[in-house]
Amino acid sequence: MKKMMILGLVALMTMGVFAGCAAEKPVTEAPAAELTGYEALVERGYVIVGLDDTFAPLGFRTTDGELVGFDVDLAKEVFARLELEVQFQPIDWSMKETELNSGNIDMIWNGYTITPEREEKVAFSKPYLKNRQVIVVLPESGIATKADLTGKNVACQSESSAYAAIVADEAFTAALDGGAPIAFDTNNEAFMDLEAGRVNALVADEIMAMYYIGEKGVENYIVLDEDFGKEEYGVGFRQGDSELVQKVNETLDAMKEDGAAAKVSTVYFGKDIVNK
Amino acid sequence: MGTISELMGNTVELLNYVLALLPALMSGVVITLKVFAFTLVLSIPLGILVALGRLSRLRIIRRLAQLYIWVVRGTPLLLQLIFIFFGLPMIGIVFSRFNSVMIAFSLNYAAYYGEIFRGGIASIDRGQYEAAEMLGMSKRQTFLRVILPQVIKRTLPAVANEVITLVKDTSLVYILGLSELLRAAKIAANRDVTLAPLVVAGIFYLILTAVFTKVLQQMEERYAYYE
Repeated sequence: MKKMMILGLVALMTMGVFAGCAAEKPVTEAPAAELTGYEALVERGYVIVGLDDTFAPLGFRTTDGELVGFDVDLAKEVFARLELEVQFQPIDWSMKETELNSGNIDMIWNGYTITPEREEKVAFSKPYLKNRQVIVVLPESGIATKADLTGKNVACQSESSAYAAIVADEAFTAALDGGAPIAFDTNNEAFMDLEAGRVNALVADEIMAMYYIGEKGVENYIVLDEDFGKEEYGVGFRQGDSELVQKVNETLDAMKEDGAAAKVSTVYFGKDIVNK
Repeated sequence: MGTISELMGNTVELLNYVLALLPALMSGVVITLKVFAFTLVLSIPLGILVALGRLSRLRIIRRLAQLYIWVVRGTPLLLQLIFIFFGLPMIGIVFSRFNSVMIAFSLNYAAYYGEIFRGGIASIDRGQYEAAEMLGMSKRQTFLRVILPQVIKRTLPAVANEVITLVKDTSLVYILGLSELLRAAKIAANRDVTLAPLVVAGIFYLILTAVFTKVLQQMEERYAYYE
């Protein structure tokens, strides 16, 4: 009997601690059910932007831990104009649509390429930035065309549009060593693998590849003329949040016209590359 | 001479870089330690409970404890994290990011501790229970004053193993977007296009495990009163 009492006591204690944890739920984790329509967001007073804070130069952290980047600054300006507070929630990139649909975040805004597959799952804003899937090789590799990559290894980021673009080219993928690209957690790792000589090429968003190459020295890499297609970045929302999409579109249009978007672009890219 | 001053210059540059990294990595360490401490505090009592459940005289409790250990040990912790944070809201149970981590980690580690403690309890000689009974101790007194202290003493090396594993397992919380030490280092590595932050993170992990190893060693020595 006494043993059972101890058992019960320990159980109660543990449950108490869990209950204590559950009770101090922060306000930012409002249940998904409440988030219907733009009115509800206005009443709540803030929106949550989901982003991967390893995506320099679109969303990353300074050494002081401050969240900066082209997309971050753009989002801040958009919601300042809409008079909504904006919170940024770091997420793991492979979980982005799950985070969106479970209501943990209200939008994905972080170099999010518009693809037909994603358009089935999320509602996109108008494209705001052009991008290409570029192929990067080392100068001494002698690779100049896609055809030179037959039987070779190609790296990219997992769950990225680069991966989707490679796999979409079935003939190219089938000709690769192992019949598939090698997918890494981040572009940084793909670049390191390229430098180590284990992969012969990598495919990545031009925006992010140029940042990396700029940091490491342009003379160390060659970007091939051929690419895996032109793409555009958009902000991804839950399907059904059409009013929020519309508001963000209108505000982005206004920012393109009055030069605010160009200003942010100059800070991170040195020139205005925002979609006109 | 030129090369020496160049080398000095490079070293100073590297040191300055590492110093600049420290605030971000330290905030990562805070998350790592929070996950570590909460898990330890919750999973050890829960583990004792699991062990008692496994050794219960009631068949149904034994079976339930067995099922729990099988499910929790039989699936990856990463999967459990995803299930609790993303899966449970589908049936209306919503936990915050950090609470999801606490629940997944505590339940996971409790299963391992449960088996360790069960082994410890089973290793205590039957005669000790008889002696305690002869001295007029109640079952509760016997367990808390005679059995449990010896179980703790005997299982310490195995527990220490799990504690060290836990320090490193905390890096799994990246899947919920929490910036623990390893993720903080990855952010810096991507921004600055260098491996250095990952090396610094590795050194941090070594320092953490060194501290815990030392603490656990001292506990072992304190408990080694009959040797």
